[in-house]
This record gives sequence, structure tokens and C-alpha cells, in this order.
Amino acid sequence: MNPSQDIIYLDYAATTPVDPQVVHTMLQLQGAAGDFGNPSAMHSAGWRSRAHVDNAAQQLAELLGTDAERLIWTSGATESNNLAIIGTARHRQHHGRHLITMLTEHKAVTDVFRALQQQGFEVTWLRPERNGVLDIATLEAAIRADTQLVSIMHVNNETGVCQDIAALGACCHARGVRLHVDAAQSVGKLPLNLAELPIDLMSMTAHKLYGPKGIGALYIAKRPDLHLEPLLFGGGQQQRLRPGTLPVPLIAGFGHAAAIAAARMADDLAHLTRLRDRLWAGISDLPGVQLNSDPALSYPGLLNASVADIEGESLLLALEPLCVATGSACNAQNQEPSYVLRAQGLSDAAAQGAIRFSLGRPTTTAEVDCAINLYRQAVRTLRALAPDGAA
Amino acid sequence: MNANPYSERVRELFARPAHAGEMATPHRAFIADQGIRIAFSATLSGAVIERLRFQAWGCPHVIAAAEWVCTQLEGRPATDLQTFAVADLMQSLAVPMEKSGRILVIEDAVRALGAAISKTFTNTEQD
Repeated sequence: MNPSQDIIYLDYAATTPVDPQVVHTMLQLQGAAGDFGNPSAMHSAGWRSRAHVDNAAQQLAELLGTDAERLIWTSGATESNNLAIIGTARHRQHHGRHLITMLTEHKAVTDVFRALQQQGFEVTWLRPERNGVLDIATLEAAIRADTQLVSIMHVNNETGVCQDIAALGACCHARGVRLHVDAAQSVGKLPLNLAELPIDLMSMTAHKLYGPKGIGALYIAKRPDLHLEPLLFGGGQQQRLRPGTLPVPLIAGFGHAAAIAAARMADDLAHLTRLRDRLWAGISDLPGVQLNSDPALSYPGLLNASVADIEGESLLLALEPLCVATGSACNAQNQEPSYVLRAQGLSDAAAQGAIRFSLGRPTTTAEVDCAINLYRQAVRTLRALAPDGAA
Repeated sequence: MNANPYSERVRELFARPAHAGEMATPHRAFIADQGIRIAFSATLSGAVIERLRFQAWGCPHVIAAAEWVCTQLEGRPATDLQTFAVADLMQSLAVPMEKSGRILVIEDAVRALGAAISKTFTNTEQD
């Protein structure tokens, strides 16, 4: 299942390769010999397709500890976030137009809130503590009588920091406010029991858990006052919340990936913890290296480290053939360091030299050791190139 | 379509910056601007640039550009430094226009080195 022979892929937070078993499941549904019928059709071909959709919903529901009918299929977490946030904001706007989120959310959330701000909604942007975790008192202080929705991600995509969703949800519910959780980085990776967690809406995507790209889901809790306005119109599918013909092979792939994740989660977490600790032990003695998230508070598949006075884009290229993500958005269009790391209080210089290593199920000890050597060599080389003096 | 932002030439120069380093010489220039730092040092043989070295803190295009400058200007008259312009460099390395601001800092540093050398010569003649 290794992604490719000529790269060392440590960017599993960006996306994962599709599990071969999932590929097999999806291929069986393609072509004239497969169950290609429209799952909404009232004939045997349609019913056969519908059975794959229902099975996948059951697999995903079992992973999450919920009922299959609470899940809406979408194109991915971005669409799920849009539907949850905009759908709630529009439906509740006559009750109030105040919304709350965090500065460290993914763009698929922050940009939605910015769009709503332009439409007249008021948004409070919460800043985490230096460890990346949101203080409950900060949320409590921000909730007002007219607050309609709080949106907070479970696992941060840059740092791996986990929010205490149970406590945040309890805080919201005690004040009659709905909680949306972007769980793109945690579904299938960390235990999530929606039967117990006070979550109203939760976004997820298949391609972060070894499923296909182009399919996601939105969980909508069964609560009498929880309704969304749809973003799309055109058919009666999925309770009219998300019309459109369902992509059966993608949905079946998502379901199978969820079932595999449920079966492997404990082993995956142990594997990732061991590799993450090995990676940090291999680079932590370099002068100027710092960890940007507390391992005790973070998902073990992700390690974000900064190194002082190293330019992020050059570090990324010097690390080739290692595929990792830079904490800096430094590119031709944007020289800004990571807004997530800046919101955590890191200096521009520290954020500039940040690298996100994200490990996955296929990652080997040899790959981690190679990454350690490449990182050490790249830091030495770039430091030797640099002149003294402040930029 | 190629989403790779680096030309082969940039990759090659970035990976093997043979002219990286600094020399004990009075002929030096250093500029920090546009979020980058760049330093050049040169030794001369008469009025000709004998050796040119650089130090750089910046993106891969900046490092590759500094190496390119050194390969192009070694063996040339020192007076060429003061008229150096980055047009050929931008084309040769296929530098995206968005990065031209940083590359112009390199032009400034090369010209500053030329000015420093010229000043040294002037002072020597006056002595």
C-alpha cells in the first residue's frame, strides 16, 4: 500500500492512498457488470445499488456510534462544512445572527464564516491557548443570547491538537447553542461515539481514512430544533438536504474504509504513536528545533516542528524526496506564515520554518529514519548557506 | 500542465550551490529586504572577478538565482557588477513574476558589490 517507490510520503493529513480492499470494492461496482443502477430508481438494478449505499451508511454509522439515517452524503468535508454552517445560519437567522468559531480552523470553515460575515452575520473568532487548545472559559465568555452556532474542529490539520469536544459541546448545549465539528482529521483515526458526544453536526471525508476522494458525509443529530437550509436544489434525495444522484462506488468505498478503520483503529494508533515518538527523538536534539503541539494533547499521526531561522519553502524542497507540508504558506502568491501557528502565538520566524510530518497506516520505520536523516541534512545545509543578520 | 513551481535549472542550482560560502576579502555586499538575506563576496585578479561567493536566506528561487549569478559573473570584468540586471536570470531560471521582487534584491546586492569594489579602487588610486 506504499504510495510510490520514488517518494517518501509523510503527508497523510493532506490525503491518503485508497486501501487496496477499498479499491476492489469500488471496482466491482463499475461498468456494465457492476451494480451501476441509480439507487433512487424503483427497479431491481436500483435496489441493488441502494443496498450498497445502505450498507456503507451502516458501516460508517457503526464507526461513529450513530444511526445510518443521521448521515447525509456529500462531496467531502468542505461541502459538509458549508452545508452545516450556512444551512444552520440561514435557518436560524430569524432567531439571531451571531456565530462562533476559532482562528485555527481549516480554510474550509474560516472562509465559510467570512462569506457569512459579508452577508451580515456576526462572527466571533476565538483564539486558542499557546498549546492550541481552546479554553472552555473562552467559549463560555463568547456565547451570547443570539448565538446560533459554534463550529470547532476536532483535530487540527496543521498541528494535530485535539479539542475537548465533549466539554465544548456540553458548554454549548447548556446555553442552547448548536455545535458543529469539523472531524475531517479524526474520523476513522480516533474513537468518536456520537451516541455519547454532545455534537449536533459533524463533517467528515473519505480520503483522509484511505477511502476515495470526492465523497464525504455530514452527521446531523436527531434533535427537534435542528434543521438546515439546503444549499443545492434539484431532487428529493437525502431528505431534500443534498439532492443529486448518489455516487454509489464512492459511497461503498467510504463505507468499506470506515469498516477497516473501525477494525484497525487501536493498532493504527499504537503504530503511529511509536513512529511519531521515533521521529521526534531523531530530530529534537537539533539546535533551534521546537515542537508546535503537545504530544499528550495531539493526534499521534501528526508532528509539527519548527526550526529557527530556516526558510520554509527552501526546507521543503531540500527535503525531497520527502513529501511533507510546510507550516508556511509561503508561495508565489502568499508569503504569510501559517495563520494556525501564528494564532497559537508562534513568531513569524518560528512559523516560517515549520514542517508538518503526518504519518499513516503504511508508514514504515525505515521511512521515518530516512525522514530524520533528510531533515537533519537539510537543516545543516540551509544553515550553512545563510548569512548572518536579520531579514 | 505542470504544477511544479521550480524549473529543472532551479532544482539543479539549488541542489548543488557550488559557489556557496564566504571569503576573507574586502569586497563584500549584504542586503536584507523583501524577507530575504543575501551576501556576496569577491576576489579580484586585476580588474577581473576571480572568485565570487554567496550566502543566502530565502526561497529556492533566491538560492538558485544567487548561484546562477556567481556562475555567470566569475571571470568577467568587475565593472559588469554595477550594470548587472536580472532579466536574463529571470528567463534562464523561469522565475515566476510574483517572485521578481525578491530577485531584484539580488540585483541590488550584485550592484552594491560592484559599487564597493569601485570604491576600493578609487580609494587605492587616491592613496
